[in-house]
Amino acid sequence: MATIDFEGTQVPFEDGDTIASALYRHGVRTFNRSLKYHRRRGLYCGTGDCPNCMVSVDGEPGARSCVTEARDGQVVERGTGWPSPDRDLIGITDKLHWAMPVGFYYKAFVKPRFAWETAERIIRRATGIGRLPLDATPAVKRARSAHTDVLVIGAGPAGLEAARAAAAAGADVIVAEEREVGWTFPPGRELDALRRLADQVRALPNVELREGHTAIGVYEGPTVPLVAEDALVEVEAGRVIVATGAVEAHGVFPGNDLPGVWLGRGAALMAARHGLGIGDRIVVAAETEEGLMHAATLRAAGSQVILLAPTALAERALAGVQVLRDARVLEATGSKHVTGVIVETPEGRKRIVCHALVLSLGWAPRDALLRMGEDLPVEGVGDVVAPVGDPPLGDGGYVCLCEDVGVHELEIAWAEGWTSSEILKRYTTATMGPCQGALCGLHLAAFAAARTDQVAVKGRRTTARPPVRGPRLEDLAGGVHEVIERRTSLHDRHVALGARMDRSGAWMRPGTYGDVAEEIRAVRERVGTMDVGTLGKFLVAGRDAQTLLDRVFPTRLHDLAPGRARYLIALDEGGYVMDDGLICALRDGRYYVTSTSGGADRMEAGLRNWADRWDLHVHLVNQTAELGAINVAGPGARELLGRLSDDDLSRAAIPYPGHAEIMVAGVACRAIAVGFVGELSYELHHPRSRGPELWDALLGAGADLGVAPHGLDALDVLRLEKGHFFLAQDTLPDDHPAKLGLGWAVDMDKPWFVGKASLERMAEIPLERRLVGLRFDGEPQRGMPLEAAGQIVGRVTSCARSEALGAAIGLGWLRARNGGWPTTLRAGATTATVVDRPFYDPEGVRLRG
Amino acid sequence: MALNIPCPFCGTRPYTEFTFGGELRPTESPDLDADFARVYHRANVAGQQQERWFHAHGCRRWLTLTRDTVTNRVG
Repeated sequence: MATIDFEGTQVPFEDGDTIASALYRHGVRTFNRSLKYHRRRGLYCGTGDCPNCMVSVDGEPGARSCVTEARDGQVVERGTGWPSPDRDLIGITDKLHWAMPVGFYYKAFVKPRFAWETAERIIRRATGIGRLPLDATPAVKRARSAHTDVLVIGAGPAGLEAARAAAAAGADVIVAEEREVGWTFPPGRELDALRRLADQVRALPNVELREGHTAIGVYEGPTVPLVAEDALVEVEAGRVIVATGAVEAHGVFPGNDLPGVWLGRGAALMAARHGLGIGDRIVVAAETEEGLMHAATLRAAGSQVILLAPTALAERALAGVQVLRDARVLEATGSKHVTGVIVETPEGRKRIVCHALVLSLGWAPRDALLRMGEDLPVEGVGDVVAPVGDPPLGDGGYVCLCEDVGVHELEIAWAEGWTSSEILKRYTTATMGPCQGALCGLHLAAFAAARTDQVAVKGRRTTARPPVRGPRLEDLAGGVHEVIERRTSLHDRHVALGARMDRSGAWMRPGTYGDVAEEIRAVRERVGTMDVGTLGKFLVAGRDAQTLLDRVFPTRLHDLAPGRARYLIALDEGGYVMDDGLICALRDGRYYVTSTSGGADRMEAGLRNWADRWDLHVHLVNQTAELGAINVAGPGARELLGRLSDDDLSRAAIPYPGHAEIMVAGVACRAIAVGFVGELSYELHHPRSRGPELWDALLGAGADLGVAPHGLDALDVLRLEKGHFFLAQDTLPDDHPAKLGLGWAVDMDKPWFVGKASLERMAEIPLERRLVGLRFDGEPQRGMPLEAAGQIVGRVTSCARSEALGAAIGLGWLRARNGGWPTTLRAGATTATVVDRPFYDPEGVRLRG
Repeated sequence: MALNIPCPFCGTRPYTEFTFGGELRPTESPDLDADFARVYHRANVAGQQQERWFHAHGCRRWLTLTRDTVTNRVG
């Protein structure tokens, strides 16, 4: 027989059982302990609206057991109470209300200052509704989009009829149903009729009925996120029809939170669907027609029913039901469970002994989604917009079951001056629990309305905000795992060489092929190759190409002859460095521009925007994806390329910094001679599709030269030895060129360029910090603060051990101190000395080769 | 947030395909004197605003859009 593991006991269950019904059959009455006072809480609404039946299922807290299907092997625990919810010693707090008045965390433990730290630890342990699993495996949830003319939320009779009508009018319709159709209906004719209607709606070609899709909010658009088992579905709808129905009104009177007090639907479902009587002798307080039906259902299940009802209703009560006309509940009594009810009748007070009290006192519309959509094309149909009377609010008992807020607490708060529903809510936390005011929102508004004449406050409900149903973190993170991964044409080559592939923005790039030190040595002593196909690559042509580039970049361009290249920085209008790269002058007034891998999109957008705004005649071709690039660097670079090319590779043909079109191993390349790594190097830009053969040829022809590929790890050290920064790692968003020591890359003699006005202004201000080169006498770590005379004056942004220099070197921020720049600093346990950059080959002899 | 942008090349597409380029500012002719104000003094209106959007995941072209910054209504 199928069982669930309930706190170590194997509890059998039947087909169609929920966890709640299985546990109830097993004899469990206390399902939970309340948040603050550890009062017993039993099954109440039966429709997933209230917080009472929450248990943890398979380690995950917060599952509403009354609507969670029982499955074999499920591990179910009640998260609250110590040592157990049945015998809960923390229940003593229920006797200590005086010590925990409403808003006590604003009042108590304020002095001495350490008191709250201690108190908080105790309070945190004693309160809450369960324990989060700290070792849970993160679930990965997809995100999907859906577009429709009409979204209907709720597949009850009203929702399905609305869907049918909208579909008949030609609209595409999505119906989102939290669980399966008819889950709040006990077996019977009504349920059968609803299922037939659902089948008809399902059969319509322009309707999609999605069960197991919970709407958690209504956002601008309207957009409605639906949480499903395997996906987060974002629905954009022309209009939204909310048909979420209503929950039975929460009765507020002393003893209203005792186990054995039920809302009518919960009691009826338990009897009719699960065949479980909720007591031999039951008091049903009915103010609605449905209340009479529940009384009949409970009677049919074999219970003795005493009906409290207004005369008009009472006349229609079934035979065999004992009726107390015009009687109302004053109080439920009992300690662990309801044992009796005190009622007021026209003849006076009466005490009735009973095993359960069932409330059908009116309706609380599930209208949170509707209220979120107030300014949007969102409308309600069915019970969610049916007229609602005053909520049953007595002068005692718990208003908010989630947060343990009683009438008494609200009265104290009101007396303290929190005199509107919004600030009552904030002070007392009423309506702020898992049910988000679904049960008690109307009561809170009515409580405030009864105590004020202010029109603005009267009857005003607190603002409805998402989420209406508590989503999991994985739901909210839906889709974040769906990332686009970009690969260069050499990806498979890297993998075959055993590279560790790292994510770098959207790109996958080789981190290392195994031995970083050896990769560095190859570049410094022999020849190394690196896949730099991720660089942004742009062809800029058209008669205004030079005008555009000259105005956009601070770089001097007018004297850049064809065949020459120049270091390029891009500034934003604030004068801050956004990106860097290279600009190569081609023949016929065309230019080839490269940017950093991460900056390619922004570079293109920036150039297009300015060309557009100035109405310039420019063709911009983003060649980032169509071209690959391999950097061949090291003392043996020319020797290696010479074996594969008949073209002239000397400095006469390819000056530094400059470029030329050459053939390498039969592949047409633009060879750019620059030197990020500080050695003789040729960056070979080539058609992407020819990348693998070029790569193979380079590695094959250079075996005896000791050629070796290197990855990002090696590059990090190689560029650091040259004192080059990595944009975003070593720089900050508000770095103008002078802070980075890049004044030489800016041509202030130009009449105008993007950011020039800002640079002129900033030049008037003394530099408050700058990026400097550092040499360490130990092994520092990236991110370490730099200290001078005991004060923090900067931070290490990059550091690495340099074999070539025999020391740890780095880059870091330094703040001016007393008008000067400190030169000796502490970084953790090491001493850092500010030194000139580049560290390695400062004259640039090697890279000029 | 549901903001759909009518792209003259690609049709009406969700805003998530676009990159926001800020409010439309005069840039017809580069002018050093007007630059500083143009960069730092934004109108930041609550209401109808002309602004630039780049269709990054589409045609990769810029467009100028009139949007109500309060309601997100376009046009």
